[in-house]
Order: sequence, then structure tokens, then C-alpha cells
Amino acid sequence: VEKSNHIENEKIINDLLPQAFGRRGKIWTGVLVSICLLGLFAYYRQLRYGLVVTHMRDYASWGIYISNFVFFVAISLVGSLITAVFRLADVKWATPLTRIAEIIAVSAIVFASLIIIVDMGRPERFVYLFMYGRIQSPIMWDVIVISTYFCISLLLLYMPLLPDLKILLRFKEKSGKWLHKLYRFQGSFWKGTAEQFRISERSITILCIAIIPVAFSIHTVTSWLFATTYRPGWDSTNFGAYFISGAFLVGAGGVVVAMYMFRRFYHLEKYITELHFDKMGKIVVLLALLYLYFNINEYMVPAFKMKKAEEGHLLELFTGDFALMFWFAITTGLIIPIVTLLFKKGRRPLPMFVIGILVVVGAWFKRYLIVTPTLLNPFLPMQEVPAGYHHYFPSWEEWAIAMATLAGALLVITFFARIYPIIPIQETLTEQHEMEETKQSV
Amino acid sequence: MKWKKQNSLFKILFLAAPFIYFSGHAQNSTDKKSISLGIAYYASSNNAVYLMANAKTKIEGKFQPVKGVAVSIYLDKDSTGYLIGKSLTDAHGLVKAVIPPALQAAWNAAPSHTFFAKTEEGALYEAASAEAKITKSKIVLDTVSSGEVHTVIISALAFNGNEWVPIPGLELKAGVGRSVGSILAFTDKDAFTTDSTGKVSIEITKTNFPGDDKGNMLLVAKMEENDQYGSLLVEKKVPWGLAVQTDDNFFSQRALWATRFRTPIWLLVMAYSIVAGVWGTIIYLVMQLIKIKKLGKQVEN
Repeated sequence: VEKSNHIENEKIINDLLPQAFGRRGKIWTGVLVSICLLGLFAYYRQLRYGLVVTHMRDYASWGIYISNFVFFVAISLVGSLITAVFRLADVKWATPLTRIAEIIAVSAIVFASLIIIVDMGRPERFVYLFMYGRIQSPIMWDVIVISTYFCISLLLLYMPLLPDLKILLRFKEKSGKWLHKLYRFQGSFWKGTAEQFRISERSITILCIAIIPVAFSIHTVTSWLFATTYRPGWDSTNFGAYFISGAFLVGAGGVVVAMYMFRRFYHLEKYITELHFDKMGKIVVLLALLYLYFNINEYMVPAFKMKKAEEGHLLELFTGDFALMFWFAITTGLIIPIVTLLFKKGRRPLPMFVIGILVVVGAWFKRYLIVTPTLLNPFLPMQEVPAGYHHYFPSWEEWAIAMATLAGALLVITFFARIYPIIPIQETLTEQHEMEETKQSV
Repeated sequence: MKWKKQNSLFKILFLAAPFIYFSGHAQNSTDKKSISLGIAYYASSNNAVYLMANAKTKIEGKFQPVKGVAVSIYLDKDSTGYLIGKSLTDAHGLVKAVIPPALQAAWNAAPSHTFFAKTEEGALYEAASAEAKITKSKIVLDTVSSGEVHTVIISALAFNGNEWVPIPGLELKAGVGRSVGSILAFTDKDAFTTDSTGKVSIEITKTNFPGDDKGNMLLVAKMEENDQYGSLLVEKKVPWGLAVQTDDNFFSQRALWATRFRTPIWLLVMAYSIVAGVWGTIIYLVMQLIKIKKLGKQVEN
């Protein structure tokens, strides 16, 4: 029995070890690097010539960068959902998804911070936030909570990785010299003693408890950046809950997309099964319904009252310049996922993958719709300003930088999956062992 | 035959050319808008004299100020030697001018003067002119106090060449000057008419006019856009008001809008206790990590 267990364990380890890039992996990485380089060039132009290269002006002073920031913050929330909530609730089926969720969270929060610095125009002034920041300002709360969330997410990614690093150290030839050195540096001290496991388990539980309020804070504070400003479309007491529900949805959508990609290209069908897609599908549909509920609240109540000051903004969304984007975001991000995922056939891997993409794309546009139309509908009329100030469409530099940050986040995930096991090996082995013990006892 | 036809066409065009030119020219001049020009005389505290010309034009049935038009203002004669000043109108269509030292003798020489304002014909507007005749006048503001009751005596005087003579039946406004430029009435009315001696006497019984931090308030008497005398304004500071102390504490209080050194205590406590709690946990977890590392090294040894 022990021998067959050992063989089984080795097979699992072999399946889950990080794999070198194949041809498709290299093309994928090359495309992402190219997009990043284009973004870097655009950012060089922005530094060289100033924010004038963007199409942000006096009124639309928050554009695609801030939309992207809100999107990244939203998607980063998934780390707390899958890892922390499921861990604390002892949801075993989610184990293969925890690391995917955590790396999405870490990469998203890194690029959320970067895009804010890009939006500042003068990056060297970032330090002023710490030198002269006022704790009364929600922007300061955001700075604090983002850095805190980053640290906790990093710890939550690193701690469960320690037992896997010990396993990786066994495969020096397969991993190569440099990666082996990296694994040694990061995890050679992990010997797998009972005491180490005890401390690690306890620390992970504390992290899971700590990350939930911090994750809620990160997106609530981001929503308060808007809600504490008296503007049409932002003046809402509901914004915190509205943002968090949307964040959970886009995060879950992101995990579904990543699940499908890793399953397909790393041949992990045995570990990320149709059952995982079915269960994630149910979660996505629940979150979509919840987000739909908050959307109805956010748009129907002001539309019912149709206060004069809000009328321009609402009509612009429903029937005006932003109507196409608005209904696209609602349809792709909410209606289609709800209708599709209510049926079992819709929760199979491929439809789930398509729905995941729709949710993520819809969510990106939704963030754009939260930020920009409001700025173009101030309470006081726009007078004696150039015609261009009345509209906003991002310049190529803005698009390039925004897309580069998205590509950058994907690149971080790609490299992470190249270096570390994307499915926790040790936890999979432990669960396998527990399952067999249960079977034997039965 | 063909040549003949072409020749007669040239002849017609040649003969018609002046008509085409002049009709075009006439078309251009009819495109020019007319300007409604006005000029007014102002005197503040009986010595600061200035003139204000305003230019406006009718656009879609409404008068709109004309910006950037050169207006020349003259004293008594619209010729170069009498030019007070020439300037472009501002965004409100206004030009302000003061009597230059060179014309001071001419100004002092007569009790009445005529002011001329002129604009030349330009690419967009027709020429325009305006004139205003004024008689030199002044307002004298005296006060008499008897206990709690204060009396303001306003005298309106005109210069007849030799002396200042009273102006009876002149409409004036008087009150307490406010920082925004308007006046606060002494009693239930702010407009008065001078009697046969050219005077107005106003008894102030109200005692609660807000003053500055020493209780000083500003008495104001003015004559507005009078056809004969123009616009005059005099002011006098009197210690009849209530001393109002500015609340300096307002800006030193701890508030959400205050500077970072005046953060509300409740926010400081709340924010920093949350930060300390969460970062304390992070530090604890890092220490646990160090503990795991030490345990590993112990096993190695």
C-alpha cells in the first residue's frame, strides 16, 4: 500500500511541477512583453511631455488610468474570497484554485499601485503622500490599505508555498541552476517538521482571518474615493457594498479564465475538474445576481427620482453617448452570465471560460463607466472651455499604458506559473492522503 | 464669330466690374454692426474723478458688451489736444479713464464740462460717438451725535463758477457700506431727497449695526447716474457699530477639512488603531516566519 501510495504521490508531484514554456507559451509571453514595451514607450512620452499626451483635461481628470486602477483593485479581491473564505469555511474542493486566486490578487494589487503612480503624472511626488499626507483624505486611506493588502496577500502566497519549495528542491535537474538557487533562498529552511507545520497552519489561519476585513476595506475605501465626493453618480451611501459585490464577481470571473487556461495548457484536467467549473459557475451566478441587485439600486432609484442635477449623467448612460458601452457592460457582465450559468450545461469548462472573459471585459468597461461619465457631468455647467473638454476618449498613450499594465499583470501570473506550482502540491497530497484514509476507515 | 462673342462677353464684364466691386463693398459695410456707445462721469470722495465709457451691440435682439474696440475720450472738444485717453474695451465692453495732468487746468477752469467718447470705424463695427455734459458737484457728509442717537447730515452742492451752492430736490442714497459694495439702510428706506437747502438729515436710532473689530462702520452717501451731475460717492468712518470679533478659532479647530496637523482626535485614534492592529498582525506573522526558519536551521544542525 505504501509503495502504491508513493507511486501515486510521485505522479501527482510530477503532474504539478512547473513546466518550461512550450511554443505557445513563448508566443504568449512574447506578445505580453511587446505590449509592455509599447506601454513603457508611451509612459516615456508621458514623462517627457507631461500629462498633455493624455486626453484628460480639466473636467475628465480621471480617465482610463483610474478605471484601470479600480478594475485591478476589484480583481485583487478574489484572493480573499477563494483563499481565505474557502479555507476558513473548510471548502476542500477549492484547494487547487487557491494559488491561482492569490497570484491574481498579488499581481493585480501591484499594477493597481503602478497605475496610480502613472496617473499622478509626476511619479517622484509619490513620496509626498507619506511626507505630507492627511489622514482625513480617503486617498491616504487607499494608500495605507493597498500597501497593507499587498503585504498580507504576499504572505498568504508565500506561506503555503513553503512545503512546495521543499518538494521543488528535490528536482534540481528539472528546474535548472537558477531556479534551484531561488528555491533554496526562499525555502531551504522548510524541513516539514510537525512544529513547522503547526506554526505555518496557525499563521495561515491568522492571515485568512486578517485578509478578509483588509480586502473589504481596500475596495470600500476605493469606492469612498468616489462616494465621498459630491457628484452625480457617485453620491451614494451604497457604494461600498456595490463595489465589493462587483469586485467579487470580476475576481471570480478572472479565476475561471485562469482555471481554464492552466487546465488546458498545463494539462491539469485531473486536478481542475468539471466539478470545479460547476461549483465556480454557481458562485459566479450568485455573485452576478448580487451585483445585479446593487446595480438596480444604483441606477433605478436615482432614475426614478431623476433629479435635475443627475439627469444629464443618467440619460448619457441610458440613451446618450455612453449608452452602447453601458448596455454592453450590463449585458456581458451580468445578463449573459446569469442566464447561461443558471443551467448545468453552461457551467462546463468552455462555456465557463467564455463567460469568465465576458465578466472580466464587462467589468473593465463598468469601471470606466463609473469614473468618466460622472466627471463629464458636473453640477455646474461647463462654460467657456474648449470643445474638447466636453468629451473624453483616451489617447493612444493612455490605451498603450493601460493595456501594458493588464499585460504586465498577466505576465506576472505567467512567470509565477513557470517558476512555482500553480496548484499547491503539498496540500493536494495531504488531501489525497486524507481521502484515502477516509475511504479505508469507511 | 466665336471671337466676337468672347469679345462682347469681356466688354460686359469690364463694364460690370465697378458695379460688382461696389455692390461687394456695400455688402461688406452692411455686414458691420453698429455700436451703442455711452459715457458716464464718476467722482469718489469728491476728488477721485474718472470717466467710464461702455460699448455694446445688439446680438440676437440682446445688447452684448463689445470687447477690444478702441475708444477715445475727450474733454470739451473731440480733438487731439483734448484727449483724456484712448483704450480698448475690456470683456465687459468698458473703458476707464482719468483726467490727465495736462488737462487739469482746463478741468478746473469751468464749472461745467462736456465729455466725448468716440470709436473709429473698424473691420467689424461702424463708428460711434457719445457725449455727456456734467456740472461739477459734491456731497458732504456730516455727523452729529447725542448720546445713543446719531444724526447724519448730507449736503449736495454744485459749483457755479465762484462758489458751491446747494442742490435742492436731488435724489440720494445713504446707508452703511457693506464689504460687498451694497449699502445697508439706516432706517426703513435707503433713498432720500434733499430739501430746499440741499440737505438731508437722517436720524439713526438703530444701534446694532455690525462694525469691524473696533466697532467702526462706514457711512455711505451716493448719487447714481444723475443726468446733470453724474455719479458721486462719499464715505465716512464712524465708531457707531458693534465691535465684531473674527472667530479665529474656526480655522484652528480639528476638522475633516483641516490641515494634517489638525486631524480630529476620533479619526486619529480610529485610523491608527486599525493600522497598528493590522500591521501588528503582519509583524507577528513575519516573526512566525523567522521562527519557522530557525526551527529549520536547528533541524539542519
